[in-house]
Amino acid sequence: MKFCKIFFIYILLTYPNTVKASEASTWLKKEIDKIIIAYQSENLPNENRFLMIEQTINNNFAGTGIAKFVAGKSWNSASTETKTEYIKLFKRHLALNIASMMQGYSNQNYNLVNSRFDEKNKVTLIDMIIFSETGEIQVTWRVKKSKERFFVIDLLVADISLVVTKRSEFNSMLKIVDYDLAALNAKLSKQNQSSYQIIIN
Amino acid sequence: MNKLLQILLSLIIISLSPNLLASAADEVKTNSDDFETTIFEDEIYDPLEGINRAIFGFNNVADRVILEPAAKGYKKLPTPIQSGIGNFIKNLKLPLVAVNQLLQGQGKNAVESTGRFVINSTIGIFGLIDVADNVGLEQKEEDFGQTLATWGVGDGFYVVLPLFGPSNLRDTTGMLITMMTDPVNAYATSQGEAWAIPVRTAANAVDQRSKIIDEVNALRNNSVDYYAAVRSSYYQNRKAAIMNTDDDILTPLPLISIEFE
Repeated sequence: MKFCKIFFIYILLTYPNTVKASEASTWLKKEIDKIIIAYQSENLPNENRFLMIEQTINNNFAGTGIAKFVAGKSWNSASTETKTEYIKLFKRHLALNIASMMQGYSNQNYNLVNSRFDEKNKVTLIDMIIFSETGEIQVTWRVKKSKERFFVIDLLVADISLVVTKRSEFNSMLKIVDYDLAALNAKLSKQNQSSYQIIIN
Repeated sequence: MNKLLQILLSLIIISLSPNLLASAADEVKTNSDDFETTIFEDEIYDPLEGINRAIFGFNNVADRVILEPAAKGYKKLPTPIQSGIGNFIKNLKLPLVAVNQLLQGQGKNAVESTGRFVINSTIGIFGLIDVADNVGLEQKEEDFGQTLATWGVGDGFYVVLPLFGPSNLRDTTGMLITMMTDPVNAYATSQGEAWAIPVRTAANAVDQRSKIIDEVNALRNNSVDYYAAVRSSYYQNRKAAIMNTDDDILTPLPLISIEFE
């Protein structure tokens, strides 16, 4: 009887977390499938495919927040116009990165295998396994909810965080230009053009 | 009365539970720390950056000219052949993996790795077929770099090794210990078949590279600073390997604000 009471209390305490994690998983699956559909439509021109992906990413990633985080200490000293330009460029950069990762997609199956709510950070972590003929890759999505909407705040491929890597990479670049965000914008714009050409060709 | 108290206590516990304060979880605010330089960067000690970048440039060319085309060719082989080669190479690493697991106090894992080696080397035809995986003996990687880290040895500075790629002082030491103690290499040398050592190393490189063709290309084609991206990726990957965890809660969580999305 005592065990039943403890069990009941435990279920009550953990149930909301399970629900949150499950809601986030359902949402994520829907959004991933949108991207996969873009890759499965063989007749779709590459430009249109990328636009579909960019739209999905812009709608579902916390692009502005990630951009600010990645900019690090250069953010505060930048002008509003520079920040606006940077966010626009960064969002495209993010989409190009993810589209580029998907370039090798050839109908691999995936499974969302595990989702849990990290109470401390208020973040849902969703593990996805991508299966290929010679092995599998684990991808972890970090998802945060704000105003009844979910946003992806980070993506980990084989324990490597996309956001942390980008921050380290941008910081290395910013150090050279004395943390001038405008100078980074020029570099980022050039990089985006080059990445876009690779994606559409 | 006792029952009433119990119910009351349960209600208090439940009402105080942070899990139920869901609305609080959704109020994500900007944190001034979001824009400060944090431990996510600058923790990589790279005093030889100039030399490292030069070696990195050389490695990058070698990768484009030799390794990547070889890996792409390898990927065209029938899947069972690729799996067979991959399994064979992984199996040869197992004796040292088990030693490192023992040195790190992972007795159970060491027994499992030994079991894997015995099963795959016999029933699995010299390691070509991963039979052990089907009986629940999973492959786990441990090396001397990880062992040294477990013993408290710090990273040391970051270094890019010609052809071998990103490393640090501790992991390079670990790699040298591996080269000196590997029983398979020692056996090949004692039999006058030392040529097998570079062949094994090259085959391992091609096999590993074939598994990350798209990921490497994505990083290379989309980085404003490819060197820094690889350096960061290396450190994150090693950190996770040393911590022996799949629990991503332990991976540093960026402070991301989403109030303007």
